Amino acid sequence: MDKVVSLRWFLGIFTAAFVLFLYGPFIVMGILSFQQGPEGGPQFPIIEWSTYWYQHVFGLAPPSRIAPLPIGEALIRSLTLAFATMVVSTVMGVLTAQAFRRPFRGSGIVFYSVILGMIVPGVLLGLGMVLLANQVGIDRNWWSTAFVLHVVYTYPFAFLVMLAIFNRFDESVEEASLSLGVSPAKTFRKVTFPIIFPGVLSAMLFAFTLSYDEFPRTLFTGGSDVTMPIAIYGTFAVEIHPNLFAFGVISTLFSFSLLAVYGILLTLSIRRQNQRASGLQEDIT
Amino acid sequence: MRSNKGTWLLLSPGIIWIMLFLVAPLIMMIYVSFWTQTTFSIKPDMTVASWVNFFSSDTYFGALLRTVRIWFTVLVVTILVGYPVALYIGQFIKNKTLQTALLVTCVIPFWTSFLIRVLAWRPMLGKEGAINIVLQKIGIIDAPIEVLLFTELSVIIGMVQIYVVFMVGPIAFMIGRIDGSLIEGARDLGASTWTIFRRIILPLSMPGVIVGAIFVTVMVLGEFATASALSGRKVNLLGNIIITQVGSLKWAFAAVAGVVLTVVMATFVAIMLRIVNLRNQL
Repeated sequence: MDKVVSLRWFLGIFTAAFVLFLYGPFIVMGILSFQQGPEGGPQFPIIEWSTYWYQHVFGLAPPSRIAPLPIGEALIRSLTLAFATMVVSTVMGVLTAQAFRRPFRGSGIVFYSVILGMIVPGVLLGLGMVLLANQVGIDRNWWSTAFVLHVVYTYPFAFLVMLAIFNRFDESVEEASLSLGVSPAKTFRKVTFPIIFPGVLSAMLFAFTLSYDEFPRTLFTGGSDVTMPIAIYGTFAVEIHPNLFAFGVISTLFSFSLLAVYGILLTLSIRRQNQRASGLQEDIT
Repeated sequence: MRSNKGTWLLLSPGIIWIMLFLVAPLIMMIYVSFWTQTTFSIKPDMTVASWVNFFSSDTYFGALLRTVRIWFTVLVVTILVGYPVALYIGQFIKNKTLQTALLVTCVIPFWTSFLIRVLAWRPMLGKEGAINIVLQKIGIIDAPIEVLLFTELSVIIGMVQIYVVFMVGPIAFMIGRIDGSLIEGARDLGASTWTIFRRIILPLSMPGVIVGAIFVTVMVLGEFATASALSGRKVNLLGNIIITQVGSLKWAFAAVAGVVLTVVMATFVAIMLRIVNLRNQL
């Protein structure tokens, strides 16, 4: 038994070290984002604590030799693209998962070809798409060639999430509604959709964040109007400055607020469902 | 009962999308790899010149070997680092809420921009970076370690940190699913901790390791950003080769590198899928 206890301690300490390994770079980045500017570089020691680089990101700092990050338009493009990708891939994910509720011939090959979209590395797909676009004679744009690849990438995630939801779905509720003479469309809206809503929300979150952060697929296919990650990548080539760290902190906070919105929506939907269920029960008794 | 026609109607948007924007580009890539490449243009005349060029050039073939070496190192390290963590989360934490909280803690960094995560290693590993400063303060080293940044090592460290989560998740999931009474039974029958691990936990967690290995493989083999950001463009993977070739409009070479990458990846994934059926694990 002693062996188990010491093993537990070893693994516990190992896991703690692991979490430190995961978060270490962020902590360092967060600290360095408060470096003095514009002379302070992206390394220790901190010359003087300041919020200069945050002002720099928002374009509030006095002009200096360090060019401001090319955000603004790039951010709008990224958000638009992420939103469109989210809508299309979630709808397609729901449709495909709905089809998978009944066994059908060829389901294996369809399953794996959909999954292929999230597995094939972005560089390869981007390259293939550029070659295809050149061949057909289509211009490369973030809203065309890049957009379709974003959907190829996020649609499998939406599909898998919905598949998992439908696997645990009690079909008798739906059947009851149908046998009571409710139309299929109304059944989907009133019965099926509220049950699968948490899954839809997760699929949307996945699709949005993946697309917003997508980079290798967009690099070749995005054309000359850059999205946010491409703009960041552009600054890699030259010397880096703490303004990138400040931007990193801001974008991390943005992601967390997105995650928080998701959490709130999910809790609300579960609570409403519970209320409705108990309300229904009262009606019956 | 819905008809078969209804099923295909529901499937059609997805299938059409995948055909046009996933299958067609990949076929196009294979096709273009056999085109004739000249300095300024590319012609659809079939030739294997680019292929011969790729395998006879030290730069390209060397990049292939380097890619395989780095991928394999990262894969082994993510298993060695990820497995104990997954074991701890899956077996030693009985409280479900705490278990979920720990897993979420591991996933949270995933919600930060990928490029920012890569970049965050720069002030960590540099000559005047956090690791060197801390080690010098404690007195473990006298002079800063210089091999930490802009080497193959920094690329491996960066990749392990970014992709290890994809190893921890599936393994922890499989270990968490193991029936506790199985382990209790074995212990009652006098099995040692090591035997329990070797005979019960390890085999039952194997599908998790395989799924994790597939995730890590496809992501590491398609990498180029980590390599260029953390090696100062000194370590060139096949992904970097593709980027440079596309940059100089050498489409056929880029396509050859792409097909080679696809073959390596597909071979590994196919072998792994023979061992475990992904669909049954969902």
